[in-house]
Amino acid sequence: MTATLTNPLRVGLRQERVISPQCLVIFGASGDLTHRKLIPALFDLFRQRRLPSEFAVLGCARRPWSDDEFRQKMEAALASKIADDPESWKTFSAGLFYEPVDLQKSDDLVRLGKRLEQIDRQRATRSNRTFYLSVSPAFYGSGCRALAAAGLLADPKRSRVVIEKPFGRDYASAQELNRVVKSCGQENQIFRIDHYLGKETVQNILVMRFANTIFEPIWNRNYIDNVQITAAETVGVEERAGYYETSGALRDMVQNHLTQMLALTAMETPGRYDPEAIRNEKAKVLQAARLADEAEPWNCCVRGQYGPGGTSSDPLAGYRQEPNVDPNSTTETYVAMKLFIDNWRWQGVPFYVRTGKRMPKRMSEVVLTFKEAPVHLFDSSGGGAPGANQLILRIQPNEGADFRFEVKAPGSGMRSRPVDMDFSYDESFGEPSDEGYVRLLADAMLGDPTLFTRSDEVEAAWRLYTPLVELIEQQPWQLPVYPYEASTWGPAASDSLLARDGLLWRRP
Amino acid sequence: MAPQLTLQAPLELPPQDVSDYLGRLWNGGEQDATSSGAATFSLLVWQPSWIEQHLVRLGRLDGPITGLEREELLQAARQAVPACGLPLSTSPLAPELAWQLGQLPGDQASEDLRGQYVDPAISLHQPRRLITLAPSLDHHQHLETLVAAYCPLPEDGPASSVCGDVVVMRGGMEALQRGLGMVNPLIPAELPCWVWWNGTLDEAPDVFEGISQAPRRLIIDTAIGTPARALDVLSQRAAAGQAISDLNWYRLSSWRENLAMVFDHPGRRDALAHVVQLDIDVQGHQPVQGLLMAAWIANRLGWSLESSNHCEGDGISASFRRPDGVAVQLRQMPVPVGDPSTHPGSIVGLRLVCRPEHRAPLCVILCGETGGCMRLEAGGMARMELVEQVVTSTIESAQREVSRTLRGGHDSTNPLLAACVPLASRLLPR
Repeated sequence: MTATLTNPLRVGLRQERVISPQCLVIFGASGDLTHRKLIPALFDLFRQRRLPSEFAVLGCARRPWSDDEFRQKMEAALASKIADDPESWKTFSAGLFYEPVDLQKSDDLVRLGKRLEQIDRQRATRSNRTFYLSVSPAFYGSGCRALAAAGLLADPKRSRVVIEKPFGRDYASAQELNRVVKSCGQENQIFRIDHYLGKETVQNILVMRFANTIFEPIWNRNYIDNVQITAAETVGVEERAGYYETSGALRDMVQNHLTQMLALTAMETPGRYDPEAIRNEKAKVLQAARLADEAEPWNCCVRGQYGPGGTSSDPLAGYRQEPNVDPNSTTETYVAMKLFIDNWRWQGVPFYVRTGKRMPKRMSEVVLTFKEAPVHLFDSSGGGAPGANQLILRIQPNEGADFRFEVKAPGSGMRSRPVDMDFSYDESFGEPSDEGYVRLLADAMLGDPTLFTRSDEVEAAWRLYTPLVELIEQQPWQLPVYPYEASTWGPAASDSLLARDGLLWRRP
Repeated sequence: MAPQLTLQAPLELPPQDVSDYLGRLWNGGEQDATSSGAATFSLLVWQPSWIEQHLVRLGRLDGPITGLEREELLQAARQAVPACGLPLSTSPLAPELAWQLGQLPGDQASEDLRGQYVDPAISLHQPRRLITLAPSLDHHQHLETLVAAYCPLPEDGPASSVCGDVVVMRGGMEALQRGLGMVNPLIPAELPCWVWWNGTLDEAPDVFEGISQAPRRLIIDTAIGTPARALDVLSQRAAAGQAISDLNWYRLSSWRENLAMVFDHPGRRDALAHVVQLDIDVQGHQPVQGLLMAAWIANRLGWSLESSNHCEGDGISASFRRPDGVAVQLRQMPVPVGDPSTHPGSIVGLRLVCRPEHRAPLCVILCGETGGCMRLEAGGMARMELVEQVVTSTIESAQREVSRTLRGGHDSTNPLLAACVPLASRLLPR
């Protein structure tokens, strides 16, 4: 009751909207995402009282499981969560169902329609349905077509489709997929998910910028010197080699997650907090963004691939030595680039973006470095001029923000030294945030598209990287993959990218 | 946003014809073929608006009577408080003001549009059917029934084809009671129904019982009316499993959030197990909100109530026992305020004193934006770690508060409210 681990006054304070009665249909229910992310997120929503009693989950995949088998597999995957609250699981799991479905077979779709009607009667879900396509990206278009042909997307107020990333492989395929998807339903039925947007700290970029008057007046080319956006992972490719070999870091991380962070950091102030107003501004800023050198992209982009590393007691395999990876693979596991945004706010301000696997630290952050003081009245305590102010938005881990500024160093002289003013989610709120999927699944079922990517945003993001994608596919030798040792901060060429501008990557 | 009127002038129909007319309205005939009734919920509102009716009757407020909590109404009510000889701390929506106004002569007539003006905060949710029961000052006025189709027009887009309808039943109390029989058939059985009792729970008990039974979801405001009656209704309905929302509890959100925020800091959490004293100041002589706050804290921290009594100054004092056996004292006092809140009994300030072992005592003071906290800040805290926070008051119209409740869509009572109401009820000395 009064244990110090949790704040007893915090329990139950949040009263969020309850999702309307509905059935969530997960295609690819036998896959990883379902038991690792989706069902745990739904169970969290259930325990937060955000799911109505008229709710059901229908898992669909090709495997011939029964309802009970599906429940048992989900139960096994969520064992530790369920141990805390077995009663809730009992009630929640009564709403889990399974139907073997192959989206390519029309007979299966007819059977699915009948099963959904049966669930409507059984669980009073009122024909409200959210279809979650957790299938291979190759089946997004045909999956939507199959659902539309079966009449399951006919009512735009009652049916929605959630589509996982990656949405397309390049600009042309994203355009084509958008065309197919739009022919199957209205834009407001389509929820293109990017789980980074479900993170509290990513959403906090909006709140930091637009709920505080101190930042917005200086959030522009007059005060900001450069912006660095980093997403670093310590893990390697793990079991995803099959997918990763065809995507690489550019498609896997930059085109979606990092570009979303870029958009939130650089967008103009929306007129109001409204899905379309937010997405309009994100789309506009992405349409204004470009590679620093589109004609010769090798001047503004560096690719890398991790090689062996680690210690003798804990060696780390290089990418080409990972299971199911081509020993001669040229897939990049690291990419860094320089971008510009051609608008009044950001003209001339470089945005440096990097992501990589097998980095020394797992971290994501946005760093805004302000211009130096025009006149240096004081020396820094380290000698030379005082450092520039920095605002660091820590996305993960140790979520929070850090503001670095100069103060007088103690002593008789007038020397300055940098100090940090630190905000930490942990210290201020003390409670772990929900997983991104909890927020995004709830929003999709509530029909709130604010944190989902609109078709024009996706296309603008692909268009931005088209020169790179084309270069990698057509003249890969122009953009070589530099090796870097596992557990280092990427190839030396990446440091040179910033060194040419007299800058360094921030070492977190 | 300005309130929206129904698109067509409401049609006055004999009460017995209303049900048939509504049936025809949605089953072809009078509506465009593309129109359909919203599959959302119905909202049944008890809308006496006594103060507004009296102010208009007395010529202190221009008509028409709308039933909305508009600024002109609150201004006229504030001006009427001293004119009626009531203390300046009296809330402009306090039932005692309505009673005092009722003693004054006046017969200014005005149009009565209650139920026909739909606040955008409500229309946003596209209720399928909005039924307003509008009792008139004249107890003997016959029953009038008005019906209109209603399509909310969003300000930023084309007209929605999802429409609803409004039904207004207007008349004296006797006529309304006689007409209650026609209400139930008007409520679509397949959709959830919310009942908003927008008056004190002391009035029209037969009407209240007649329309507010489960499974309908009930919305009340325990800030107005007799505290014992308000807490009894709240605790009985919650105990019976009916979904009940209390706007007075909802208004406590920022106080609960601020207090929780103080103890979010991991270094302070331990102090919560060592609370020895709780002081609450409330505006005027309506104790329910303060008692709900005290009960919530007690419930969350596992305190058991030992006694509760009236104390000097028309306050309430109570003793609790912590799980470790140490006593906790509660003292809740009414305080006068210069600029009373719209809602009687709003919390003005709160002080929580903790005496953890092996460290300095902690004193947390939460203070409302508009009132002073001099009583709570006075003396005795020199050796304590002091945390002071100002709690932002969010004054919203009742319609907006109800809108938030509807938006939540919960089909059960908030578990925190359900858990603390029995204790709040026991805290009220009877």
